[in-house]
Order: sequence, then C-alpha cells, then structure tokens
Amino acid sequence: MRTPRRLAAAAAAAAVIGLAACSGSGGSSAIGNGAASSATGQKVQGGTATLAWPDGSAPNLIFPLAPATNTNGYNANLTQLMWPYLVYDGDGAQSAVNPQESLFSSLTYGNGDTTITIKLKPWKWSDGTPITSRDFTFVYNLLKANVPNWVVYTPGLFPDDVKSVATPSASTIVVTLTRSYNADFYTDNVLSQIPLLPQQAWDKESAGGKVGNYDETAAGAKAVWAFLQKEGSDLSTFTTNPLWKVVDGPFTLASFSSDGDYTYAPNKNYSGTVPALSRVVNQVFTTDTAEMDALRSGTSLTVGTLPQNDVGQVATLKSEGYDVVNQPIPGAAGTLLNFYNAKTGPLVSQLYIRQAMEELIDRPQIVSKIFQGYADPGDGPVPVQGFGQWVSPLEKQGGPYPYDPAKAVSLLKSHGWQVTPSGTSVCQAPGTGPAECGAGITKGEPLSFQLLYSSGTASVDEAQAAIQSSEEQGGIKITLKSEPFATLASVIGQCTASSHPASTCGWQLVDFGYDPYQLDPTGNTLFNTGGANNLGGYSSPEEDALINETEYGSSAQTFYTYEDYTAEQLPWLWGPLPSQIDVYKSGLGGFAPLNPFRGSINPEDWYYTK
Amino acid sequence: MTSYLARRAAQAIVVVIGVTILTFILIHLIPGSAARAALGVHATSGRIAIFNTAYGLDKPLYAQFADYVGQLLRGNLGVSYTTQQPVSALIAQRLPGDVLLLGVSTVLAVAIAIPMGIYQAVKRSRLSDQLLDAVSFTLYTMPDFFVAFMLIALFSVQLHILPPEAPQATGIAGLLADPRALVLPIATLTLSNLAGFSRYMRASAIDVLAEDFLRTARAKGLPERLVLVRHVLRNSVLPVVTVVGLTFPNIIAGAVIAEAVFSYQGMGLLFYQAATSHDYPVLLGSTLIVGAATVVGSLAADVAYGLLDPRIRHGRG
Repeated sequence: MRTPRRLAAAAAAAAVIGLAACSGSGGSSAIGNGAASSATGQKVQGGTATLAWPDGSAPNLIFPLAPATNTNGYNANLTQLMWPYLVYDGDGAQSAVNPQESLFSSLTYGNGDTTITIKLKPWKWSDGTPITSRDFTFVYNLLKANVPNWVVYTPGLFPDDVKSVATPSASTIVVTLTRSYNADFYTDNVLSQIPLLPQQAWDKESAGGKVGNYDETAAGAKAVWAFLQKEGSDLSTFTTNPLWKVVDGPFTLASFSSDGDYTYAPNKNYSGTVPALSRVVNQVFTTDTAEMDALRSGTSLTVGTLPQNDVGQVATLKSEGYDVVNQPIPGAAGTLLNFYNAKTGPLVSQLYIRQAMEELIDRPQIVSKIFQGYADPGDGPVPVQGFGQWVSPLEKQGGPYPYDPAKAVSLLKSHGWQVTPSGTSVCQAPGTGPAECGAGITKGEPLSFQLLYSSGTASVDEAQAAIQSSEEQGGIKITLKSEPFATLASVIGQCTASSHPASTCGWQLVDFGYDPYQLDPTGNTLFNTGGANNLGGYSSPEEDALINETEYGSSAQTFYTYEDYTAEQLPWLWGPLPSQIDVYKSGLGGFAPLNPFRGSINPEDWYYTK
Repeated sequence: MTSYLARRAAQAIVVVIGVTILTFILIHLIPGSAARAALGVHATSGRIAIFNTAYGLDKPLYAQFADYVGQLLRGNLGVSYTTQQPVSALIAQRLPGDVLLLGVSTVLAVAIAIPMGIYQAVKRSRLSDQLLDAVSFTLYTMPDFFVAFMLIALFSVQLHILPPEAPQATGIAGLLADPRALVLPIATLTLSNLAGFSRYMRASAIDVLAEDFLRTARAKGLPERLVLVRHVLRNSVLPVVTVVGLTFPNIIAGAVIAEAVFSYQGMGLLFYQAATSHDYPVLLGSTLIVGAATVVGSLAADVAYGLLDPRIRHGRG
C-alpha cells in the first residue's frame, strides 16, 4: 500500500509506539506461507468479514468494461465477484485456471489453434434466466464497436484478432481467430479478461427503453455502451439501479458509500457454491498506520495487509487473534533503463554495463535484511515464488548474474573503465573495440545515473539505498530521487528509437515497483520492441522472436528459452519483489491457500468455524 | 455597517477571482502530464489522446481557462480526473466530516482556552500558572500526529475502550451515529488548538489586567468576578477572535495528518491526493472553496471585532 511521503514520519512514529505498546507480549512471530488456513473446526453459515483497503481504492464504475480514461483498477475488485470472467484465474495457490469457478465447462482449441470452442456451464443469472452464448456475443459486440475505448484493450488482441463468432447452440460459442495462438496464453491472459454480461437485462439504450438486440449494429452497440457507462458511473445508484442487480457471480452489492466502503451479500441464486458469509464489508483506510492501529486495537477488521516495516508486529497481531501469511506477488520487478536518454542511453545500451550493474545488486541481502525474507529474489523476468511451472532452472538457481562485485569491477576494467570504488568510474578507452567502452561513450564519461522511484514506503527507500550503496563498489554513482507514483507517471513516457521527446524521456533509471502478470507471465508489452509497457525502448529482434514464440507457438520449452534469454539480456535490472503480507482472523476458514492472481480476495471461499 | 459589508463582499469576490486565476496558472506550470498522471505509466498515446479530448486538455491554456470560468458560472466545478466524479460531489462528501470534527474541536478549544488563559493571567507566575504553561507548551510543541498516536496507543491499543478510527459514515447524521469514534479525533484536534489559543488569551489578559480602567472598576467596588467577565474577558478576547477567524479556513481545508491517522477521508487528504496526481479540477475546486472560506473567516473576525468593542465601528469614515 502506497502512503504519501509526508506521512512516512507518522508511520515511523506509529511503529515506535506500537513497539512500546506491545513490549512484553508473547507469542509466535512466524509468518505462514499461506498454503492452508489455520482455522479448524466445523464450518458455519453466516457471519461478517471486514476487509481493509488502501487509500485511493474507492471504485468509481460498476459496469465491468471500463473506458480507456478510467484506469481505476479497484473497479475490477468490485465487479469481478458479481460478474466473473469467463476464465477464473488462479486455482488456490496455483498459477492455473480454476475450473470450479470459471463459467466454461470446456475450452477446445482446433484448426491449428485458430478456433476456440467454448462450452458454457448450465448456470443462471440471478434473475433466473440461463447464461447463454448470447451473453458472450453481447460482450463481443460491445467491445468490437467501442474499442479502443476499453481500458484493457491491447491492439491486435481481443477483439481485433477475432475473425468471427458463431453460436451453434445456447451453450456453445465458436470463436475463429485471425491467427493461431498458444492455447495457454490465450486462455490464461485473454479469455480471463472477458466477463459475460446479461444481454437480456442490459441491452438497452436508455433507462426507460426496452431491452432489444441493439448491440448487433455498431451504432446500437455504441449507444448501449454509452448508456451503460453513464449508468455505471453514478455512485449513488450502484445498489438501486435494476441493471446491477442482475449478476452471475457469488455476490451482489448490498451497500455502497461514495467514499469507497461497500458491502456484499451472497447471491442466493448463484449457480456455484453459495458463499457461507452473510456479509463482506470492504473498508477503506487512509494509511497503513490507521489500518495497523485498527488491527492492533482488536476491532472487527477481519482481513488486512501488514506493511513490510511492521513485520515486528506479528506477535502482537497473533495475540489479538489474527494469523499472518506471506503472499508472493505475481509480477516482474526491477529497474527500468532508458535506452534513449541522451546522456545515459549509450551507457545502458552496453550489455556489459548492465551486467556489471546487476552483479553489484545484492538481491539476497535485500530480501533477507530489508524485506525480512518476505520477497521474491528477482533473479529474472519471472518471479520464482508463485509461478511454479513457469520458472526456468536458470532462474531457480539464482539467475545469470548473482551478486559478484569483483566480477563486476573486472568486467568494467576489461572494457576500458577506470574503476573508482566509492567514487565515480570514468571511461578511459572510448571506442567500439572489445576492450573499449562502447559506442557513444566518450573519454572521461562518468558511470553516473539518477534513479527515480515511487515514494512512500520505508522498506523501498531502504532497498534503493542498499542498491545505491552496493553499486558504489564498482564506482557506479546512483543518485536517488523519490516522487509520488502519479508524479513519476506524469513525467515518464515511452521512449523508442523513433520518438524520445525530452519532456517525457529525460529519465535515466526508474523503479515503479513491479508490473503485474496474469496467469501466463508473458513478456509481451514489457520487453518487445514498441511494447506498450516497454518504456525504456529496449529492442532486440531475438527477444521479439522469442516473445512471439511464447504467444503463438505451442512448445512449452519455448518459454524457458525466452525467460533465460531475457534474464541474461537485462532489458531491466532485476530486483527483489516484496511479498504482500496478509493478516486475517484466525477463525476465518478458506482464506488460504492464497490466490495471488486475485490479491487474496476470494471471500466466496471464506467461512467461520465453531 | 451595511456599506462596510458590501464593500468587503466586493473585495472578497475580487480576492477569490484572483486566487482562481493564480491557482489555474500555477497548476498548469507543474511539469508533467495530467493525462499520464491519471492513466498511469502504461498509458498509450491513444488513451492519452482520448483523455485529453475528454477533458479539454488538448485546447490552448486560455481556452481551457475560459471553459473553466464558463462552467464555474454555471455552478459546475468540473469532474475529477482520477475519481471521474463531479468535484462538487467529492467536496460535498468530504466537507461534513471536517466541519464536524474541526468545528467541534475548534469550539471546544476556544471554550477551554479562554477561561484557562484568563485564569493563568490572574494567577500569573504562580505554581498553577506554571503548570498550565508547561502543559500548553508541551502540547504546542507536539505535532498533531504524535498526540493522535499517544491517544490511540492508550485508549485503543492498551485499554480497548475507544476505536482508533473516526466514524466511517458520510454525512453529519452518519458521523453522529457513532459518537465513540468521534472522541479521539476531536480530542486530538482540540488539544492541538488549545495550546495556541490559550497562549494568546493569557498574553492578552495580562495586558488588559495592567490597564487603569480595571483599577477604577475595582475602586468602585465592582466584584472581582464581574471585573473579569465584563472587563477582562471582553477586552482580552479580541486577539483570540482574530486567530479563531483565521482558523475558519482550516475547518474547510481539513487536517491532513488527523485524517490520515484516524482514517477519515476529509478535504485535507482530498487536496493532498489531488496535488500528487495532477487532478486539476479537484485542486482548483478545493482552492476556490478554501479561498472563499478564508475571506469569510476574515470578514467574520472583523465583524465580531465591531460587536465586541464599541469603539470599533466599521463603515464610518
């Protein structure tokens, strides 16, 4: 949870007070691995669970297909329990599709992986009407007519890549694609973003209008889209608008406050297993500190998150009746490099310099000393924790560039650098020969960078300071500058060979935290040439080919080849990714195993015990 | 008095217009793109274009200002870039909590500070004055958040008798429905204000107690209680009125630290979040409201001066 920098002092003071307050408390300080819930006893129906959410997490749209201008990711948290996706991502702690909660009964790829036959489960909407293939075409028609004004739209993917959609029966959909895909990729990363929506209730152009088949024309689909966007953004009617009462997920919305607090009640007509809890309350806290105070004072808060810097509070929390579990985050973490910065671009364009910089980052020490062991080591593009079958043997062994300052210094010297540990190394031998600094690097040029990172988290400050300090061993000078996330975002743009304006490409190195992965940890958009999230402009034809192979090919081995190549080429400097540490009432069953792909938010599986 | 009020009201309008123009210019001088701040680091050029068109950010600055003034004249403060909600709705949602918490705490602080200041002035340099001095100096030097954490550590974490959060409901009625949750935030803000107010009151009362007219009153046999109430209180409260008048905008602007610690979403955090996310409409709307509150607070203090001190008559010569 990000907190404003000016509140960091407050958080620190809170920690001090907290330590004073809990002195003498006993109990275990161990944090579980989230493999199983600690609750024992008989499952009971009913009860209320209250979840803590961070500041700024208030949803502002209940219609599940957000427009391009609305990037509030918390809207998905609100809607996915009412209108789940066709493919439910994450099965317990596994990076796999959950067949029980997905809306399909079978997915079959055919014709060289260019057609997908989707069989729907015989489930029903909360108004009693069956979920049919028409609900899929409704979504497809809306998106086709309104792309690119869909927030998760990726050019070239759904619906651009759909040649046709046929519905041979009410429960069967046949999607013909314009090209073949790797089935795992398409299921895990594309179909997992498509919800089914109730055509029989939502295919309207106005509140007073009748339901029709308006979506079947482009103009009609635009009108329906506009109507649903307008209705969906009216916070005051989230719980009263008849549109939003028709759901197919495990919950309905019982109350909603414009400040972001909202409550779910079970969907009594849910076709899956109806949730045991009678209420799920979502409460926004303005800071980590306020949330910690609520947990330590024994309020009704059932589930919260523990900031990394408050790991020392675990024993106190346990004495208040909570359990604490560590949840690895599925994402790529590290420092982005701007290959088109006029000053430092030529430096980071040299693989040996990136390699030396990586070998100077003591990732294991950052994990153990700063993140108390609750972090992924960040040995490459795929986190070792939480991704099981996707992690290559090379990454499991610590990645291609373990911490080795002597090797880093030697590497720099062998390329013509005068290395000054604790100072600033300078290029002594300019040129493009094998023992020279490299193209675009002039004599006397310093190995000096500014590293921007997102402010507000003390452990992240410490991790960046550790990197700054360890890079000094090779005479690589890092100047740190932290800014609120939105401030960083406002001045950092995508830099490519064809476009690197000074206004948005003046940055040198930046660490935003991490980029989340879906079930399939593809490198598409992150590391491919021109990828939407490839901000620094890294470009390699071999990398592009390998990424394409993971998306369009069918060999499982291909992914490891891509992964190892990416780990070695360092489009980013890899770094540790701190885990999320969840706190939950010890009597809450079903909380674990944790599903990292849904941020532990599976209240449909939770229950109290007696 | 009427002409004075009319003149001050006209001045107030000019000030608020000036604040609006200045804020609009300053906000647009902040480096960086509002679209990028709102859409995040992965915003594509297509999405940025859609965003800029939707919010008129693709127009020249003067045209954007004209649009803004036009919508202001229609009573529209615009739509937040980040929450996508009308700014007026956001302010209406946040303001009641601040008005209640900061308003009540200010009233309490004044109600305690005035007798405390007079008492200290009367008992000047005695043990009770020195003890109260020590208390008020201690409170004065403590940051808000520290007072808040001490109260939470004692009453919430140790004793478990009061919740560590302010009421989570919106609207005055909802807030009042959970009075226990109001205690700690109001106590924190009261203690923080009390120290300053009581110091002003003490200093002012000491000055008044040295005036000749008090000796005359006492010589005429006026009881000490009446001396204090009729003469000392009335004359020494004037500087405090000024301070309280200038505190009025704080009630509207919120208290960002208290909001953060007690987890209630008030105007302070709204402004802070808007400032860090380049949310121009919210920044402009909040500044406008706080600017207006400052002018009103200042005017109220001037009017109160006239009512408390018959020698001050506004609007004459």
